[in-house]
Amino acid sequence: MTGTEHAVHRSLRTRIRENQRPAAVWVAVLLALVALEAGALVDLTVVLVQGMVKAWPFGNPGMAGIESAKAAAEAIPTLLSRETIPNQGWRTSANGPWTNTFLGLEPMVAWLLRFALTYAYVGVLIGWFLYGYRLYREHYRQADWTPTDDVVRRFRSHSWGKFGFVVVVVFVVMAVFAPTLSPALAEENIENPYSYEMQYFDEETGSVETVFVGQANSQSTSQGAGDDNIGLWQYDDFGRFHPFGTMPNGKDLFTFMMYGARVSLFIGLLSMGIMGAFATVFAMTTAYYKGLVDLAVVIVGDSVMSIPQLLLLILAMAVFNGHWLEGIYNGGLLIALVFGLSGWPGLWRAVRGPAFQVSTEEWVDAARSFGQRPSATMRKHMLPYVVGYLLVYASMTLGGVIIGTAALSFLGIGIDAPTPEWGRAVSLGQPFIATQSWHIAMIPGLLVVAVVTAFNALGDGIRDAIDPQSEGGESETTAAAAGGGGG
Amino acid sequence: MSRWKYFLQRLVLTVPILLLAMSIVFLIVRAGPLDPARAIVGMGNPAGYHDVAVDLGIERAVRVDGEVRYVDVPLWQQYVDFMAGLLTLDLGQSWVIYPETSVYEVIALRAPRTLWLGFWSVLIALFVGIPLGFYAGLNPNTWGDYTASFGGIVWRAMPNFWLAVILVAVLSNSQQLFGFSWQQLVVPTNVVTAPNLGFLTDPGMFLSDPGRAFNQLLGATKQILPAAIVLGSSSMGNEMRIGRTAVLETINSNYVETARAKGVSARSIVWKHVFRNALIPLIPIITAEAFLLIGGSVIVEYIFAINGLGQLFFTAATKGDLPLVGSLAFIFILLTLSLNVLQDFLYTIIDPRVGYEEN
Repeated sequence: MTGTEHAVHRSLRTRIRENQRPAAVWVAVLLALVALEAGALVDLTVVLVQGMVKAWPFGNPGMAGIESAKAAAEAIPTLLSRETIPNQGWRTSANGPWTNTFLGLEPMVAWLLRFALTYAYVGVLIGWFLYGYRLYREHYRQADWTPTDDVVRRFRSHSWGKFGFVVVVVFVVMAVFAPTLSPALAEENIENPYSYEMQYFDEETGSVETVFVGQANSQSTSQGAGDDNIGLWQYDDFGRFHPFGTMPNGKDLFTFMMYGARVSLFIGLLSMGIMGAFATVFAMTTAYYKGLVDLAVVIVGDSVMSIPQLLLLILAMAVFNGHWLEGIYNGGLLIALVFGLSGWPGLWRAVRGPAFQVSTEEWVDAARSFGQRPSATMRKHMLPYVVGYLLVYASMTLGGVIIGTAALSFLGIGIDAPTPEWGRAVSLGQPFIATQSWHIAMIPGLLVVAVVTAFNALGDGIRDAIDPQSEGGESETTAAAAGGGGG
Repeated sequence: MSRWKYFLQRLVLTVPILLLAMSIVFLIVRAGPLDPARAIVGMGNPAGYHDVAVDLGIERAVRVDGEVRYVDVPLWQQYVDFMAGLLTLDLGQSWVIYPETSVYEVIALRAPRTLWLGFWSVLIALFVGIPLGFYAGLNPNTWGDYTASFGGIVWRAMPNFWLAVILVAVLSNSQQLFGFSWQQLVVPTNVVTAPNLGFLTDPGMFLSDPGRAFNQLLGATKQILPAAIVLGSSSMGNEMRIGRTAVLETINSNYVETARAKGVSARSIVWKHVFRNALIPLIPIITAEAFLLIGGSVIVEYIFAINGLGQLFFTAATKGDLPLVGSLAFIFILLTLSLNVLQDFLYTIIDPRVGYEEN
């Protein structure tokens, strides 16, 4: 590097220091937006940490601290929360006004408002990030054009990919904002219904009564026959609104789905992280060293792949039954680990081609003869080319992981009750599909189809954006195998 | 490198892969947190425990001062025994599901149903998926293409277990829903339960009592169809997509252009030049399909109550019959690897480019 080059190439920090206004405004608005929902963010973090600590085999250190952190998180004022916009209330008289709901609105309207506001908030947040990217391009980036611009432009005109992106965002928001989006809290409605009380207007006695949530649940069941059904978009006798109806045990299906999304997303992301790490390291080293290293990874990868993944999962769940590892996130961590450790060969094979291709480029050869360390060559000169492909196949494999997790829970060996998991809802609703309580099994299935299709579409979109020449062929073969994954 | 040398290389590679895969299974079954002997005898039966443990090769009985003591067999010794047993095709016996029965007998009892299921699901997927994909590829960007492509994508995204559950419910209530009863259609059968495969084990029946045999064949086919459609669903979607792209790619290639310029009839181009080449990328999909079937059969057999190999694996794993699980895993791995070899073999025969790129 010469001195003149240094003068031309200023770091991003310097560039921001020279022109502070746009960046400052953008960060200020972002902080304000985040501050509105700070409570929800802290709550999510605390829930994750709590799950880790709960299953720790050597006592529960700091559990009290976490409990107090949770209480503190709930105390942080949050704009879009059940406290600000409550939807659970009761009538004071027959057909009288509602109390305890937001502005005295009917529970359905209050819940809808909160639901719509949450998605509007996320929409604004995403819009703000896109605006930030534009600001960066206008004010801070030195080059007028980079290849990334073309990738972004191609993705923006790829409607199938955009469809996937939107549905994936909807799904992720479900997982992150589960307590806000649900008409009831999982803790109160699903996990410990007999520890919480609620009030309702009893038409027979003509007064406001107090019952345990569990009691109310047991009188709002959906079991097909006769009056025993709370279907889509209905109220139960206790003034509670159920957007997706209730489950056979009277619990709210919508709440179940939102929290279930959390479980699916956690397992999906964690296993994807493990797979991605293995696949990246192996793709880089095999492409760089070739020969024996490649052969060794081929053998190990093929051995892992020769055991059907679902069978491996069943076996692992059976063998680790009751083990402390199975206790973390009710088996979620174990499932994610098995998916990650058994799924990397597929991902690695998918990116092996591009990695080999880039390893034959002249600049890699130049870096090598230049005396650059292999790890630096891989990271700086090979990895950027492969990352896009990794994203594509990770997105497509994620659908398979979601299906696999649901299948395990359907078989009764995945996520333990009462923690919600979509597959369990299908298994609970199975006897009632042909009755008026069809919603219990149908809705989770439709959601899985939508989410998996969306992840595939997103993968398609990214692939077409980074590599417009690739019309299927080899790449699609692998992706196709990844998508259906067993369950 | 010649093509056959390439194939031979792949064949030799299969050996370490098999050994390594079995080692993984050994690690889970023997070195995992679940003691196989404990799982078999259940809790609190020390005497029975030692008998089973000795039989499994986990412990060894030694006499010390005329008294029987039990010593743990080291893990490496267990590993050698385990691998030696499998490689000499000594699969041992089942302990919990079918006590005192050899694994071979258990498999002989269960395998026909799974094979029957697998056969039909491959067949259905092939005969629906490939024609649809080729149709979409030959008529790109028409409504037919869009419908087929979108249908394929959604169809592939459907979880097998959900599809199976819906299908069972719909068929069980076909009388109310469609006005005809699936159970009574052609041959009376149940929606769930295993098909009667008497005609497979006793093919002579087709000569001695053809009426009954054909009736049984019809019944067994009808009973397996819904399960086979579910099991083949994801492969069907894959075959459709790959078929479509393959046709699109070949149809735009230079030799097809040349043939067209020479005046070869459109019919001959499609059948002779496009289809045959478009089939090449479908080979891995078809073999991968068989692989998907092994995993998927667990779910489908569970829901349709077909007591085949998949269900056997599931119950064996959940009921703690780990010796049976290990042997079944060996069979499945062997099956997968043979399919891989078959795939390489087909490639070697069909695709002249094989082995070229390795140079």
